Amino acid sequence: MFNAMGYQLRVIWACAKKDFKAALTDRLFTVLSLFVPVNLLILMSLFVLAGGNAPTAVVMEDQGPYAQAFYQAMSQAHSFRLQITSAVEAERLITAGQIVAVVTIPSDFDAQVKQNQPVQVGVQINNLNTDFTNDIRRAIPLSITSFYAKAFPNLVNVSVQENDLYAHDTDYIPYLGVSILVIALMMGGLLQSGTAAAKEWENQTMKELLLSPASRWAIMTGKMLGAFLMSLGSTIIVLLVLILIVGVRPENWGEVLGFSVLSLVIFNTVGTLLGTVIKTRQPVIALSTGISLPLFFLSGAFAPISFTTPLLQVIARIFPVYYQIVVFQHAFHGFALNTYSLGGNTLILVGYAMALLLLVTVALQRATVSH
Amino acid sequence: MIIRDFLRASWLILRKDLQIWLRQPANIAATIVPALVILFIQALGAQAVGRSPVALVVEDTGTQGALIAQAIRNADVFRLHEVDAVQAQAQLKNLDVVAIVTIPANFTAGLQAHQPVQVNVTVNNLNLDLTNDIRRAVPDAVTQYYLAQGNASPIKVTMNESDLRLRDIQLFQYAVLPTIVLLLLISGLITGGLATAREWETSTVKELLLSPAPGSAVIAGKVLAGFVTSFLLGVLVLAVAYLLGWIYPQGIYWLTTLLIIALIALMGSSLGVAIGAAFRQIQPVIGVSMFVALYLFFLSGGISVLAFEPTWLQSIAAFIPLTYGNHALQMAVFYNSADLLGRDVLVLALFSLVALFLGSMAISRQSKY
Repeated sequence: MFNAMGYQLRVIWACAKKDFKAALTDRLFTVLSLFVPVNLLILMSLFVLAGGNAPTAVVMEDQGPYAQAFYQAMSQAHSFRLQITSAVEAERLITAGQIVAVVTIPSDFDAQVKQNQPVQVGVQINNLNTDFTNDIRRAIPLSITSFYAKAFPNLVNVSVQENDLYAHDTDYIPYLGVSILVIALMMGGLLQSGTAAAKEWENQTMKELLLSPASRWAIMTGKMLGAFLMSLGSTIIVLLVLILIVGVRPENWGEVLGFSVLSLVIFNTVGTLLGTVIKTRQPVIALSTGISLPLFFLSGAFAPISFTTPLLQVIARIFPVYYQIVVFQHAFHGFALNTYSLGGNTLILVGYAMALLLLVTVALQRATVSH
Repeated sequence: MIIRDFLRASWLILRKDLQIWLRQPANIAATIVPALVILFIQALGAQAVGRSPVALVVEDTGTQGALIAQAIRNADVFRLHEVDAVQAQAQLKNLDVVAIVTIPANFTAGLQAHQPVQVNVTVNNLNLDLTNDIRRAVPDAVTQYYLAQGNASPIKVTMNESDLRLRDIQLFQYAVLPTIVLLLLISGLITGGLATAREWETSTVKELLLSPAPGSAVIAGKVLAGFVTSFLLGVLVLAVAYLLGWIYPQGIYWLTTLLIIALIALMGSSLGVAIGAAFRQIQPVIGVSMFVALYLFFLSGGISVLAFEPTWLQSIAAFIPLTYGNHALQMAVFYNSADLLGRDVLVLALFSLVALFLGSMAISRQSKY
């Protein structure tokens, strides 16, 4: 029995070592697959900078104290990156697409406010898409109310009292960075294992493997171990960038490491399954990269999926990526993003891993090589 | 005679590459399915964008409480759950809502007594984007409450909005164009790149280079094969988006839309052939193509709006040809405008020519060995 077990372990190790070495011989692809995930993290992080404050020009035609107070209210509205410009410069900037709004405080602002007379603040918006422009449409009234609450506390009696569930706000990039980490792990894991599996079929070396006395599960485990070791490289790079450069410090290091390993096992298994079923590298690579963006949008990367539409919630729960985002957000920020406990989410992920392993085993058992 | 030979050689290579492409349905599916799925997901989630689920608890039974509750309903920025305090707490705990807005029991009485009153907001501040939406939306509703009082309102400052563009575009509609652009780019890069690299992997390049067909005809045939497949896929997604009513080019702007799609397909395909000739092996070609596609897509503002980005990112985007493709498509599809069309066409055409030149250089370099 020990001999048999030793033999299987030797097969696993030999397959893992062979795939690891084979991956290293294809240097360019290996380097690319190591760095594609981290590039995805960097590029997506760069472009969620736009989710923050809107670049806005303020034309101060009135320099009075109320006009200044209104400008202050705008600067504290959590919505704008303000710059004071002339009307001509503001027009140039908005036409060139360098800013998205021009707020003009009219020359009679102070006089009208003092006399409690109506006055209009001009707001020109580059209404490119409603998600972004509605933020501006709401931020101006917020500034008006804040302005009145400070300048005329006796006149405006209604104010907003905010209580936060968490002691501090989490910025958008640290939140989204964790979600992107999951997608990056997915891309790295799928690419490594998918190409390793498909390559055996493409080069027809699978024939030797299947005809050898080695058991199929040992071959499969070895291949996945090789891919796992390669994926570990890209995972370490992505984690280092997220922690050291983006500056997201995990609340629980153990969870980060544990869930990284569990996620890689899941993604390596999916990749091996894709490679075994499709059998050619080209569609496997295209799919590995192609499904990352849809799953990113689907799986609650931007916010808990319970805040989105019911149908999307149902679809998102089908994929393990959703649960992975939940557990990683817990590991990094301590957030609970669904009603299951951390143990419950982990069990679901372990269930996915087991089911996928079973699927790969079945796929490999049924696989044949035609002559 | 020379031209006829050139055309014949190009046509034969184009036909051969198209036949190979058609024999690989898995590749076609892997190229087009992700783009369609992105559109599908964005359409499904469109209703929730910018409209967070919020529990509204109205504890006040007076007129002012009713008025501010109405202002919150009219604000149309929340998906409201009107519940009692206990249910609201349960919903917040279960993440069914992002915030609880409570109109306190003393709201009307406090206002009638000219006392300060507070609308209480408990917010799940797990990310700043959602939190700031709530921070903006509740005061917005308070402002609307005052505005509804007309001349009696103590708030005399109002907003006079003027929009730069004719119509507002929903986020999911806005995302259609970058999705098509990404599809065109990936398809062009992969099809052109693989068609070229395959010749080296299977050593058939030897026959091509030793044949009397000019190198430029080989390049042209391969670029055209990538162009035709990418263009067709792009038009297919465009037609789907049009039939679903997400985009609405009209009249002549159909032509400019198709022209830009053609130019992006040509650019992707030319770049793909250049990459294929440079790397000569399928696996690295796919890796490099994906790398290039990701960079070009994201740096041209693929999942964002460039005008909202910091200046330094806008400056980088100015050097990315896809930025001009996105711009021209937006103008044609959403605003029926040809604003800066000449510039956009010129940049895309020039970049395609540069890529073609690079491809020719790579093939010429190989033919010397």
